[in-house]
Amino acid sequence: MSSIPSRRLSRASSRAESTFSFHSLPASTAPLALSSPAVTHRSEPSDFVRRSNRHKKIPVDVRTLEYLEPCDSNLVCLICHCPFDKAVRLACDHVFCNDCVDQAFAAQEGSAPKTCPTCRNRVDLNREPLPVPRILMSMLDELRVKCPNHKAGCTWADKRSDAQDHVELYCDHAQVECASPDCRLGVLQKDFHKGCLHYTVSCEHCHTSMMKKDLEQICPNRMTICTSCFIEILRHDLPSHLKEECPKATIMCPGSVCGCSFAHERTVVVAHVTTCPMATMAPFFQAQKARLDEQESQQKLLQRKVDILEGGLSNIQNMLYPANTNPNEPCPVPNPLDPNTIDYASGPLPGTPDFRLPAAAFPPASQPTVDQATAAGQPPQPPFDSSTHHLLSLHESLRDEVSRIANALTDLEGRTNMMIINENQRVKDEMLHTNAAINSMRMQLHWLTSARLQAQNRTTGGGGPGSSSAAGGSGSSGSGASRAGGNGGGSGSAGAGAGGSGLGGGVTLHPIRRLSDSNRQDTKL
Amino acid sequence: MAASRKRILKEYGECMNDTPSGMKINFDEQNITEWEILMDGPDQSLYAGGHFKLRLTFPTEYPFKPPVVSFKTKIYHPNVSNDDKGSMCLGMLRPEAWKPPNKVISVLHLIQTLLIEPNPDDSIEPTIANEYKDNRKEFEKTAKDWVKRYAK
Repeated sequence: MSSIPSRRLSRASSRAESTFSFHSLPASTAPLALSSPAVTHRSEPSDFVRRSNRHKKIPVDVRTLEYLEPCDSNLVCLICHCPFDKAVRLACDHVFCNDCVDQAFAAQEGSAPKTCPTCRNRVDLNREPLPVPRILMSMLDELRVKCPNHKAGCTWADKRSDAQDHVELYCDHAQVECASPDCRLGVLQKDFHKGCLHYTVSCEHCHTSMMKKDLEQICPNRMTICTSCFIEILRHDLPSHLKEECPKATIMCPGSVCGCSFAHERTVVVAHVTTCPMATMAPFFQAQKARLDEQESQQKLLQRKVDILEGGLSNIQNMLYPANTNPNEPCPVPNPLDPNTIDYASGPLPGTPDFRLPAAAFPPASQPTVDQATAAGQPPQPPFDSSTHHLLSLHESLRDEVSRIANALTDLEGRTNMMIINENQRVKDEMLHTNAAINSMRMQLHWLTSARLQAQNRTTGGGGPGSSSAAGGSGSSGSGASRAGGNGGGSGSAGAGAGGSGLGGGVTLHPIRRLSDSNRQDTKL
Repeated sequence: MAASRKRILKEYGECMNDTPSGMKINFDEQNITEWEILMDGPDQSLYAGGHFKLRLTFPTEYPFKPPVVSFKTKIYHPNVSNDDKGSMCLGMLRPEAWKPPNKVISVLHLIQTLLIEPNPDDSIEPTIANEYKDNRKEFEKTAKDWVKRYAK
């Protein structure tokens, strides 16, 4: 059936969507089934519990059931003419349905004693009705009935005693409460997951408005007549009827796939098929076509793979040969399938003879096979069965190369670090030596100056205060020398000089200081 | 109600399987509690050659109350009231005599038997019953006359 633009008249909440397709709606949950609770209900293990809860609890009326086979007349209640429902027995041995006998008593005149509906024997209501023999109960239970919803389409048919369970738990055509929480109407179990169907739509065929759930069932205009064979069928079935059954519909010969142009009514075509060679070939051709299509799609897939890999390869090569990247030829390899044609002499890495990649075994697509035969003299090439394989191997070798370079780099870095550390150590040692030498020099100098001062004191033969000040001067000069051990001793000699000058004869002292300076200069060199 | 409806339908099926001779039941599916019966007068009776129209009405309490039979065609008979109702009330059709196990088909047979053999002791029209008992010739004459007049 074509999509029916139907207009929802009620439910202002969804008025925005004024037309909708007839077909698409049942597939998706109806727009009013707000949070589509049915989907979650279905998947839950406690489905049965929920189902029996949302079922309207209507006990099956056994007397309205339809029986598969006509029932034994001895099992039929004389009042309702149905097989006994909850059979009871009266003292006179007449058996009725429990409800029937109650109704019969109720219909009898008020105060008079109740009598058996069949034989008018008096009935003692305190003692009767009596239970019936068990064999009768089991015979009744084993009667086979149709589902009470069989008119709605349920095909279940089994023992009468199972009918209640079937309707309550299993029957897809039982009435349940609508999925929408604010809708009080009933819906068939099988339509429960479609959400609320209780809104009014207008049927395209009969232009009457009816509930969505009834659209397929009760449209008065639902029957139509096939234009070819004039039988009356459901409008719903018309397209499939025309396509598959209708004996008068014009169809093509099945051999049309391989060129037969015969088209006629179905019955004629059926006769034609037995003689048409193309119709007999058609299945074979169709199988071939299917295979071709499959191959083509696979080839497309592979083509895409190759494209991706080629892109990756050229990227890698661009990284490896950055000098070669110019806009005209982004890839330094003119033929990506044969990387050995690269002129390495012109490349930035001329000295890597091991970076030679294997050539592709297959010829380029444009090359005729004759060229392959003439190229037999060339050195044997590794057998690659596809360009993908070849590119993959290229990629692999490039990756090896990159990792090798990385290894070499780390090696080199380690060695450089080692060298720097060793050199540092040597320099440190030398500095220590120098310091030690300076210190020993200072000690010598100190000794020499003090010796000189003592000699001077002795020659001048000065008084008490002079000698005492000389002693102070020597002390200060000594302390100055020790203080200047780190940074040269210039200030120390100046202090000694100051002590000396303060003491007396500046002329005699001057060369001493010079001596110390020159001495120090020597040590330094 | 559903049970009585079901029973009426079953009884209709039974009557269709075994219709008494000369009877035809017009059954309206919209109103199954009213049957219209077309009956030919039984051959061996005074009413032979007549076509009688009867109405069989089932009360809502059926089968606990008896169905009501009435002749729509006028008939001169001691057990059929001589008015526009044409009601028939006797035997098992009496409310106190009716038993739920009774069937419609036996009612139909009873009607046929009654046309062949009127029951003046259980009459609804005493004058006709008396005439039937005392002046059988006059009765037969009037009955045949009525058949010609009303039941053709």
